[in-house]
Amino acid sequence: MLTYTLRRLLGMIPTLLVISAVCFTVIKLQPGSFTDQYLEDPRFTRETAAAISRQLGLDQPAIVQYGRWVWGVITRFDFGYSFLQNRPVVSVIGDLLGWTVFISLITLLFTWIIAVPLGLYTAFNRHGFAASVANFLGYVGLAIPDFLAALLLVALVLQFGGTNVGGLFSPDYIDAPWSWARVLDLLNHLWIPVLAIGLEGVAGLMRQMRASTLDVLSQDYIRTARAKGLPQNRVIWHHAVRNAINPLITLAGLSLPTLISGTIIISIVLNLPTIGPLLYDSLVNKDQYTALTLLMLSAFLLLVGNLLADLALAWADPRVRYG
Amino acid sequence: MLDRRTLALVTLALVGGALSGTAQAAPKKVTGYGNLGITDGKPGGTYTLVLGDSPQSLNYYGVIDNNLGLIAQQLFDGLVEFNYATYKVEPALAESWTVSPDGKTYTFKLRQGAKWSDGQPVTADDVVFTYEQIIMNPEARAGDAANFKLDGKQVEVKKVNPSTVQFVLPRPSPAFLLQMRSFVMPKHKLVKFSQEGGAKAADINNAWPSNVSPSEVVGTGPFKLASYTPGQKVTLTKNPNYWKVDGKGTQLPYLNQLEFLIIRDPQAQVAQFLAGNVDQLNITGAQFPDLKGREVAGAPFKVMRSTALFGSPPFVAYNFDAKDAALAKVFGDVRFRRAMQSALNRERIIDTVYNGLAGLPGHGVAPVNKEWYANTTKQLGAFDLKAAGAALDALGLKDTNGDGIREISRGKNLEFDLTYATDSSVYPAIATIIQNDFAKAGVKVNLKGILAKNLLSTGQSGDWEMILHAFGDQPDPELRKPIWQPGGALYYWHRSLQPAQDGGTPNMARMAPWERQVYTIFNDAATTTDRSKRKALYTRWQLLFAQNLPVTPLAKPENIGAISNKYGNYIYNLGVIPGYNPVPLIYQK
Repeated sequence: MLTYTLRRLLGMIPTLLVISAVCFTVIKLQPGSFTDQYLEDPRFTRETAAAISRQLGLDQPAIVQYGRWVWGVITRFDFGYSFLQNRPVVSVIGDLLGWTVFISLITLLFTWIIAVPLGLYTAFNRHGFAASVANFLGYVGLAIPDFLAALLLVALVLQFGGTNVGGLFSPDYIDAPWSWARVLDLLNHLWIPVLAIGLEGVAGLMRQMRASTLDVLSQDYIRTARAKGLPQNRVIWHHAVRNAINPLITLAGLSLPTLISGTIIISIVLNLPTIGPLLYDSLVNKDQYTALTLLMLSAFLLLVGNLLADLALAWADPRVRYG
Repeated sequence: MLDRRTLALVTLALVGGALSGTAQAAPKKVTGYGNLGITDGKPGGTYTLVLGDSPQSLNYYGVIDNNLGLIAQQLFDGLVEFNYATYKVEPALAESWTVSPDGKTYTFKLRQGAKWSDGQPVTADDVVFTYEQIIMNPEARAGDAANFKLDGKQVEVKKVNPSTVQFVLPRPSPAFLLQMRSFVMPKHKLVKFSQEGGAKAADINNAWPSNVSPSEVVGTGPFKLASYTPGQKVTLTKNPNYWKVDGKGTQLPYLNQLEFLIIRDPQAQVAQFLAGNVDQLNITGAQFPDLKGREVAGAPFKVMRSTALFGSPPFVAYNFDAKDAALAKVFGDVRFRRAMQSALNRERIIDTVYNGLAGLPGHGVAPVNKEWYANTTKQLGAFDLKAAGAALDALGLKDTNGDGIREISRGKNLEFDLTYATDSSVYPAIATIIQNDFAKAGVKVNLKGILAKNLLSTGQSGDWEMILHAFGDQPDPELRKPIWQPGGALYYWHRSLQPAQDGGTPNMARMAPWERQVYTIFNDAATTTDRSKRKALYTRWQLLFAQNLPVTPLAKPENIGAISNKYGNYIYNLGVIPGYNPVPLIYQK
């Protein structure tokens, strides 16, 4: 198991290198340059554009720029300089990482807590009225994009005279020290993004859970267990659910990269301080090292998520073993 | 009384009289705006505004960033500033100034007793440092080195004594005073990032990154930096050393605190405004009806319209150097451009795209700019498709095969691309209206959408046929010379005029006679110190512009702002215009 993990980890290095080269090429293939965005400003002249390009090393051939970046990452763990923010990429991402992870974890937790039991319920009570309602709501949740759900919630809050229409805090609490009042204010804002992002996930996950439970329920070993006269509860929890949850473990692993790209639009709409909009901005403005680092982070998370999922599967499913 | 004397002094100085002013008491009294609804306020309160994105740095000269500009405006001042009502230049950090009779030497006397927000005195050294080490430093990303080189020669900055600074110009430049709106920076905080302090020229860009300690950012503006929470909020507090007082002598600003919430999405900004978390918001014509409706229904805010001097009037331009030679020939023909002007339905654009919140444009000068505007309304013509058709017929551009589209030559339709920005609230609608009306005149237009931030670089690349774009109006046409002078860096609809090297002489041989005239007018006006002669020159330019239409201006949008009823003394906040900052007058009722 340990050798397997090590082998997988080592295998990531060439994969990541190839991904970085591809990403950098794609970023470079975009038309225009970083300095284009400034041209509309009367303070900007062509000399300034040339000076900025020189200062940032953009006058060098692309391969040199890429080589320097890779070398910096390998030797100094330096992920380059954010043109847009005038500071190292690592510190820019670091500013937002905390809230991004926090919001993602809360949403993930919310999704699972709602979706797994609901999926099981709809599977066991396939033809019940409540299950049909849950299924219907699931479809609706799937059909409504998260940003639209967020906008609807915001409109609703506004309609009832609320002031928590975006961001994570009321203006007064943004830079206040932690206190119970601040926590309450956070919760008062947090439910909108959690509900809006989570709802879409709930629907998908619920369908997945339902399908795999139904799948498992028709298996021979369930019928055997039932025939043996095992109590219903034991059949469900010990045999059915444990097997039905396998595909979800893989799904959970795959959901790690959504930390970065999953919340772009909703973060813009709800003004959340997460990494998503940073990725969008850096791509649009050709802030190449920030974009590259974020794409790499995303790729890395995907690989790690896969690995974790495989390990978790091995732990959960006795049939899966790695030599 | 004091105010009038200062004004008289300034006026004299502007005319060129070498008058040395007697020192006045230090603070500047802000009075005389009764017609703008300004009254004496009371101290206290917090005012919350929005920023479209996080500031990229806190060093105004290190990054070109409008969000930083909005903050910097509250933290720093220039030597001179605009009058809120007339846009005339008046004293700011400089208490008074004189211009030598030859128009080449400007001497500024600094405001007595002016202090930085950390208590250090503002001296001539700070001004010399700001201009020499930062603004004229070609490596400063948001510096302005180009404007301090006239005819290839450097402007000199000299300290005369601790409170007097002199600028010596290689040649007269009457618009030079406007450059003095540039923010003055504290030498004692920034010298370590400058060449004078032993750093490299480019190091100035690294001063004051966005995670700088707030106490490092020192200015003379109404507010000082208190804190910055990444991606969420910038907080400023009142600068106790600010140098302005109101009519009663109460120190400005009235507000204790100024907050900027960082909200990227325009809809989210409106939501926060409606929820009462934001106190003032600049909005577009498209958002006007909804907010105005709520105001009328009793919402606790007002939506104010104001005719604009600054701000970008959209225009259409035809590429005189289009790749298709036949098109280039037609585009270069003034009769074609005039014919197409009659097919531009300005009224409909103003009514439907701007919800009526726009007026007719000037030609390079905003109609509200009384100082320079020449009335060219007549030359704008009227929307008349028949007349357009007849004019095109007269040019020989006729529909011979009966498909409803005129032919530019045998078997080839008069058809071209209109490049416009898809991510703008007004361009797509304007482009569609143009496409529609032109089609009725037998001219086929294909819409080609790009991102707004690429409009100018696309324009300058020459890879377009017709373009929908906008350039801002400024108080003095001299400031827009690179746009409107043929061969200028931004005169991109006739790129073949541009000089082989920056700063060289443009290709005069390829200029149309009227372009040559405009070229000379701009050169003359740049050095003419006599105000009435300059006015005559710029009037002539506007008429030439209106008749020959290097570009065809479409409309002049109004400024619209929404403000909570809790506050008084609101004047439309123009945005990032150095030397125009009405926020110190705002007070909480």
